[in-house]
Amino acid sequence: MNTRIIAAIVRKDLRVVRRSRALMTPLIVLPVLLMIVFPTVFTFLPRILGGASAAFSEMFRNLPDPVKQQFGEFTEATWIRIVHTQMLAPLMLLVPFMVANVIAADGFAGERERKTLEPLLYTPATDAELFSAKLLAAWIPAVMIAFGGAFIYAVIVNVTAWPVMHRVFFPDLTWTVMVLWMAPAFAALGLAGMLLVSLRVRGMQEATQLGGLFVLPVIALVVGEVRGAILLGPMMAVAIGLLVWVIAGALLLFGVKRFKRTSLVGKL
Amino acid sequence: MPAILLDHVLHRYGDTMALRDLSLTVEEGEVFSLLGHNGAGKTTTVRIVNGLLAPASGTVLVFGRSPLTDGAVVRRRTAVLTESPTLDDRLTAVETLRAFAEMYDVPRADVGPRIDALLAEFGIADRANARVGGFSRGMKQRLSLARALVHDPDLLFLDEPTAGLDPVATQQLHDTVRQMARTRGRTVVLCTHNLVEAQALSDRVAVLGGGALLALGTPAELARRITPRLEVTIEIDPARHADAVALIAGLDGLTVAADRTGILRVGSIPRERVPDIAARLVASGIPLYRLEPHEPSLTDAYFALQQVGKGSA
Repeated sequence: MNTRIIAAIVRKDLRVVRRSRALMTPLIVLPVLLMIVFPTVFTFLPRILGGASAAFSEMFRNLPDPVKQQFGEFTEATWIRIVHTQMLAPLMLLVPFMVANVIAADGFAGERERKTLEPLLYTPATDAELFSAKLLAAWIPAVMIAFGGAFIYAVIVNVTAWPVMHRVFFPDLTWTVMVLWMAPAFAALGLAGMLLVSLRVRGMQEATQLGGLFVLPVIALVVGEVRGAILLGPMMAVAIGLLVWVIAGALLLFGVKRFKRTSLVGKL
Repeated sequence: MPAILLDHVLHRYGDTMALRDLSLTVEEGEVFSLLGHNGAGKTTTVRIVNGLLAPASGTVLVFGRSPLTDGAVVRRRTAVLTESPTLDDRLTAVETLRAFAEMYDVPRADVGPRIDALLAEFGIADRANARVGGFSRGMKQRLSLARALVHDPDLLFLDEPTAGLDPVATQQLHDTVRQMARTRGRTVVLCTHNLVEAQALSDRVAVLGGGALLALGTPAELARRITPRLEVTIEIDPARHADAVALIAGLDGLTVAADRTGILRVGSIPRERVPDIAARLVASGIPLYRLEPHEPSLTDAYFALQQVGKGSA
């Protein structure tokens, strides 16, 4: 593997993404919404809504017993802990997934649509180098944004919740596992899904529509968490992360076998 | 060792035969043209030679290496200028050249000077840091050519290289091609519909039709093979015009027409009879000022070959 060739393709792809308003808008809006706006709003929600606290109490009563036992008596501090460590936590996984998904769509289908893939195929880059470069160009920024966003999220939560919590309570172990273990896995899933789709379609629009379907496992996790059907603890986070890594790995393995110049050129 | 060797190469797209038993060699330092209509197999040949397509059968060697098994090694020595400029509009000219210099593993110390030299050579130095999206078609084509040359390839494929170029840029490209081949010993393969360009630049041409090789040779050889008879313009003393017409008309199988007094146009002369006509005019005491044979052009040969190819397909 020639790392210089791989680095050149990664740099080129990222530069191209950075200069596309159409790509950068979702890449900025989604993390800002999920990592800054949501934690701020949800921390203050009981205080903003005031009289609606009865509704929150009702919501707490409907949570499964193990969750209630974990958090004890319902107070504003309980609300803050539930919201950030349970309800909103899986939403954070959307960020690496979507970032990887969008960049991979541009790197595979977008490049083909712009007819800039052909000169890449004529370079000395081997199929493996091309494949690795395209993966890294999507995966690295996705993970970096996830890590950076998680850090900002933690700071915001601790600062906004300080009047109630009076201590640094976040992140907990589950959330740390989610960020360090699950987020990279979901980034890999996002790009693996897009890779498979891109190998079959010609256009960027088609790719993003079909590739977006791979977000369903994340949505299922979020809904499960909010409804209390899934109690995400550290072990569960490790297990789900492992499962996602295995699925993403299998999809990538399937993809790498099909990522051949001789196949790609047929779709130019 | 030839730069390119194709031996009985066959390729299909589904049921469509793209290349039919194609065999040819391109020698190092040669300017070689692949001529043919759309769908003749030119682009398929370029892709096979660069390892982007695997032929169904036959042997392909580039500088003695197989593009399928040694693709990276082969492509390090080749470059392809595609028909339409395939540049990323969001990159600047410098970023484009730098990215490809790195992908071709150009030594780090050479990257900057080489980019500067190419930008200057192709007249884009003043737009070096402008995004390609704002370039005209001609500028994009020039940048594409600069990109193709950034690693100083031994074998350069140019697919319709002058499409969209103005006459000055076209002349510059022709000079580049000649310089690459004549001065630096590089091999250039032109894929073109432009027969005048092919005739002017090529050492040899291959005419493809329906994926098959219809003819191979120098432009002059092909022209002669297809049109072995010449047309000759003869300028004689106007006072002896009638004598000259009578003399030539009396020769077996020749037709003569007069453009004006003293200028005769003799059609369809077998090449070997030209000296005989000159000798007879001189022997008759007719002052001969000029005898100019008109060689059939590659264009004549090309269309004749395509008709033959159509007939045999």
